Amino acid sequence: MDVPVHFFLMLSAAMFFIGVFGFIIRRNMITLLMAVELMLNAVNINFVVFNRFLYPDYFEGFFFALFAIAIAAAETSVAIAIIINVYRKIRSIEADDVAEMKH
Amino acid sequence: MMETIQSFMTAMMNSVSEIFASADLTRPTWSKWIFMALAGVILLGSVLTVTSRRILRAATFLFFTLLATAGLYLLLEYEFLAAVQLTVYAGGILVVIVFSILLTSHISYRFDPPPVWRVLGGLVAAGSGLLLTICVLVLTVFPKGVAAPAPDMQQVGNALLGQDVHGYVLPFEVISILLLACMIGAIVVARKSREPEASQPDKTE
Amino acid sequence: MQIEDFLLMRHEILLTLGILIILMADLFRPHGRESSFSGLAIGLMAVITLAGLLPVPQGSLFGGMYVSTPLFTLVKNVLTMGTLIVFLQAHSWMTGPLTLRRRSEFYILLMSTLLGMYFMISSGNFLMLYIGLELASIPVAAAAAYDKFRMDSAESGMKYILSSAVSSAILLYGISLIYGATGSLYFERVAAFYTGTPVQMLAFVLFFSGLAFKISLVPFHLWTADVYQGAPTGVTSYLSVVSKGASTFVLLVLLYTVFSKIALLWQPMLFVVAVVTMVVGNLFALRQQHMRRFIAFSSISQAGYILVGLAAGNQLGMSSVVYYILVYVCSNLGVFGVISAIEHATGKLRMDDYNGLYHTNPRLALLMTLSLFSLAGIPPVAGFFGKFFLFAAAAQQGMYVLVILATLNTIISLYYYLLVVKAMFINSNNTPVPFFRTCCVTRTGLVLCALGLVVLGFAAVVYQQMFDMSFGL
Repeated sequence: MDVPVHFFLMLSAAMFFIGVFGFIIRRNMITLLMAVELMLNAVNINFVVFNRFLYPDYFEGFFFALFAIAIAAAETSVAIAIIINVYRKIRSIEADDVAEMKH
Repeated sequence: MMETIQSFMTAMMNSVSEIFASADLTRPTWSKWIFMALAGVILLGSVLTVTSRRILRAATFLFFTLLATAGLYLLLEYEFLAAVQLTVYAGGILVVIVFSILLTSHISYRFDPPPVWRVLGGLVAAGSGLLLTICVLVLTVFPKGVAAPAPDMQQVGNALLGQDVHGYVLPFEVISILLLACMIGAIVVARKSREPEASQPDKTE
Repeated sequence: MQIEDFLLMRHEILLTLGILIILMADLFRPHGRESSFSGLAIGLMAVITLAGLLPVPQGSLFGGMYVSTPLFTLVKNVLTMGTLIVFLQAHSWMTGPLTLRRRSEFYILLMSTLLGMYFMISSGNFLMLYIGLELASIPVAAAAAYDKFRMDSAESGMKYILSSAVSSAILLYGISLIYGATGSLYFERVAAFYTGTPVQMLAFVLFFSGLAFKISLVPFHLWTADVYQGAPTGVTSYLSVVSKGASTFVLLVLLYTVFSKIALLWQPMLFVVAVVTMVVGNLFALRQQHMRRFIAFSSISQAGYILVGLAAGNQLGMSSVVYYILVYVCSNLGVFGVISAIEHATGKLRMDDYNGLYHTNPRLALLMTLSLFSLAGIPPVAGFFGKFFLFAAAAQQGMYVLVILATLNTIISLYYYLLVVKAMFINSNNTPVPFFRTCCVTRTGLVLCALGLVVLGFAAVVYQQMFDMSFGL
C-alpha cells in the first residue's frame, strides 16, 4: 500500500465533519439520521486504517469496526421506529413541527 | 506570540511536504488512482447527502458514499469487512431508511433551504473542528507498522469466539442481548395498537 | 467457566436470566389473561440486589475484557437498588389502563439498559465500554417513547435517540484516535502510553464530549429538558438517576486510571465545565413550572457539583463522588416518587398544583421536603454530607475558587428548592390535590428513599467503606 496513512485519516476527518455540518443545518429527522451514519462510517474508516497501517499484529480495529456496524444498524432501527411513530401522530417528520415543548 | 505562530506554521509546512514526499505523486500506481477515485466519490457523496434538498436523492448519495467506503476496505484487503459493510450498511440500514422515506414523505417534496445563520453556524463549527483535527493529524508522526497479511476467515472466527486476550466472545454475547433489546424496543414503539386512545385525552389532538 | 467466575459476574448473569425469565413469562402467558409483570420484575430485582450483597471477589475475565473490583460491585449494587425503587414506583403506572398490552417490555427494556451499565462499569476495553454504553442508551429511547398516546413522549424518544447517536459518534471518533495514538484498546495498555501528545489530547476531548452528552453537562445538555419532560415519569427518574449515575462513575474511573497521566489537561477542563454546568442548570431551574422540567435542570446542576469532586483527583474525591451518587439516587428518587404518585392520582404536574399539599397529604409533602433538602444540601439530611465531602475533596487539592463558586451555586439552588417547599406548606390553594392513599408497593418505594436519606446521613460506616475502596491519582 503506497498511499500514506495521513490521506486516509484526512478523508475520514472530512467525512466526519461533513456529517457534523449536516447534523447542524438539517431539520428533517431522517436526514439527521443519515448525517449520523456518515459520522459513524468515518469512524469505521479510522479504525480500519489504524489497524492496517500501524498495528497489524492484532485485529482490534477490525473487530471494533465490525461491532460498530452492528450497533449502528440496531440504533438506526430503533430510531426509524420512533420516527414512524412520530409521523403517525403528526404526519410530518420535520423536527420544527415536532417542537411543541418550548419553555 | 508571533514566533509561536511562525514556528507552528513551519512545522505544519514541513509535515505536509513530508507527507506528500512519502506519497510520491510523481510515480502513480493503481492503488493511488483507486484511492483518489474513491476519495472523490466519498467526499462528493457526503457533501451532497447533507445538502441535497430532495430526501430520496440524499439517500442515494449516501448509498454511493457507503459503497465507496466498502471499496476502501477492499483496497486495504479487508474483504470480510467490505462484505459486511455492503450487506449491513448498504443492504440493511439504507433499505430501512429508504422504506421510511417512502412511508413518510412525498417524492416531489423539496425541503426549504436552511436559514443562512444556521448554515453559517454549521460551517464555522464543523470547519473549525475539521481544521483543528487535520492540523493535529498532520503534525502527528504515526509509528510505521510492519505490513502483515489481512486476517483470513479462520482467524476472524477463532478470535470472535476466543476467551483470552484479543478474544471477542464477551462482546459477541453482549451484542446479542443488545440486538434483542433493540428489537423489542423497536416493536414496542412502532407496533400499531388497537387500544382505545380515549383513556387519556391527547393534548395535541 | 468455573464457579468463581460465576461469582465474579453474578450481577450480569443473574440480570440476563431475569430478562429471559420475563420474556418467557410473557410468551407463555395464558391466552387472554392480562397480567402485570410488576411483581415478577420487582422480585427478580430484589433477588439480584440480595445476591449482590454477598462477599465480593476481585479479578478479571476474558483476557481483561471484564474487570471487577469491590468498588465496582458496590456501585452496581447502588444502581440495582435504584432500579428496584424505580420499578416499585412505576407499579401503579404499570398496572393502570394506559399500558395495557405492553407491560413486560417496559421491564425488559430497563433491565437490559441496566445490564449495559454493568458491562460499562466493568469494562476493561474500549470495545466493551462502547457496547455497554449503547446497550445502556438505545433501549432507553424506546422506553422514553413508551406512552404512545402522548405526542411529547414520542418527541422525547426521538430527541433522545438522535442526541445519543450523535454523541456516541463523537465518542467513537475519540476512541478511534486513542487507538491510533496508543495502538491498543485495552485500558491497561492505553494508560501506559497516554502521555499527552496533541493527538491524544484531541482524542480525550472528543471522548469526554461524547460522555458529557450522556451525563448532560453544559454545553451538551440541550436534549435533557425536553426528554425529561416528555418521557413517562418512571423512565425520567431512571434516566436522571440510574443512567446518569452509571455514566458519571464510568467517567470517574476512566479519568483516574486510563487518563491519569494527563490530569493537568482534564483538571482545568472539569473546572470550567463544572462551573458552567452549575450556573446554567441553576439559572434555568429558577423559572420552571413543569415539575419534570424543573427536576431536569436541577439534575444538570447536580452533575456540576459531582464534577467538583471529580476534578479534585484524590482518594477523597473518588469516594465522595461514589457517596454522592448513592445519596443522589435516594434523594432524586424520593422527589420522583412523590411526583409520580401525584401524577398517577390526579394527573397534575405543575408546581402550582403542589400548593397546599401539606394540608391534604402531609406524608408525601414531608418526604418531598426531605428529598429537596437533601438535593439542596441542608444539614441533617444525607445530601449535606455528600456536598460537604465533594467540596472538601476539592479544597484538599487547593481548588478554593472552585469551592467558593460551588458554594455560591448551592445558595442559588437553595432558593428554588425552597420555592417548592413553600408551595407545599405555605401557599394556599382553592383546589388542592385531594387526599389519596398510594398503593402499598409504591409506598414501599417511598419509604425506602426516606430511610436511605436519613440513614445515609448518620451512618458513617458506609462512607468509611467507600473511602477504603477508593484510590487517588
